[in-house]
Amino acid sequence: MAITERLQNTTEVSYWTGEIPLEYIYTYGRAGEKYFRNLKDKGTFLGAKCDKCDIVYVPPRIYCEKCFQRLEDKYVDVGTIGTVHTFTVLYKNLDGTEKEKPVIMAMVRLDGTDGGVVHYLGEVEPSQVEIGMQVKAVLKPKKDRKGIITDIKYFKPL
Amino acid sequence: MLDAQAILKTATKVKLDDIKSGKVLSVHDKPNLKYAWDNGVALGRYLAELKNGRIIGKRCNSCKRVLVPPRLFCEVCWRPTDEWTYVQDTGTILTYVVSHVNWDASRVKKGQRYHTPAVIELDGAGKDQAILHLIDEIEPYDIKIGMRVKAVWREPEERIGAITDIKYFKVIE
Repeated sequence: MAITERLQNTTEVSYWTGEIPLEYIYTYGRAGEKYFRNLKDKGTFLGAKCDKCDIVYVPPRIYCEKCFQRLEDKYVDVGTIGTVHTFTVLYKNLDGTEKEKPVIMAMVRLDGTDGGVVHYLGEVEPSQVEIGMQVKAVLKPKKDRKGIITDIKYFKPL
Repeated sequence: MLDAQAILKTATKVKLDDIKSGKVLSVHDKPNLKYAWDNGVALGRYLAELKNGRIIGKRCNSCKRVLVPPRLFCEVCWRPTDEWTYVQDTGTILTYVVSHVNWDASRVKKGQRYHTPAVIELDGAGKDQAILHLIDEIEPYDIKIGMRVKAVWREPEERIGAITDIKYFKVIE
């Protein structure tokens, strides 16, 4: 037996709206703290190197996920230069409205590492972006950096 | 074996002051969680009737239950439900709680009334068909299971078609 009862009048259609109040404070953890502290103070990225597995994790981890070796004394500065691993172009905002100007987001693999950062690309047009392109992080001035991912303004082509 | 002491030694203790002062870095955010939820046929009518000062349910002629809030489908008999039927705004407390904490886990302030939500089986509804609402006009710790209660409605012009069109239930016997 099917449910046959339906609204016959469009004015009977109703919906409930609400807003869930949610506020949070997220701390980065032991490795994340070092990563963002380094970004804030030095303006570079930090990785964690496992000599045994020859892997450089970015962002850094406190353990190697392959061999479980502790990596807390194996943090390495990996600079700010990388290559575009993959990218996408955003034409719309979260609410579906058109963006004035398209925004490019990319996964940037940092040179000499096995990890990377997902961030914006800047000073480049969508048609000029290519996978494998060399890019460099552009950071906010040191006094404006707060130790969050938006301390990086974007990555720009070298 | 898990060594609790060893784990505690490696743990990092963080205080709120460490975060506020910037000693420990953090992200602080307030995501926008606005939503719109389609009431559907059954709950749409339920809310519309609350605005009229009435509580409506839906009968299942197979198990003879009156489902409140109404649903188009009986989950016990696995079939569509049948007639719409009004139930009373009086009922019986099936269970309740005296809550010393607010919804955000903060303590109820001194002098404020503890929250007393209850599960209320409405007269005319099927057994165990109950709604969750607040009890008031009674000392929280005087509430007992089995007490008879009646809805205290908002003034008609204040009603918006929401469960809060009933302000609370008060004990009547």
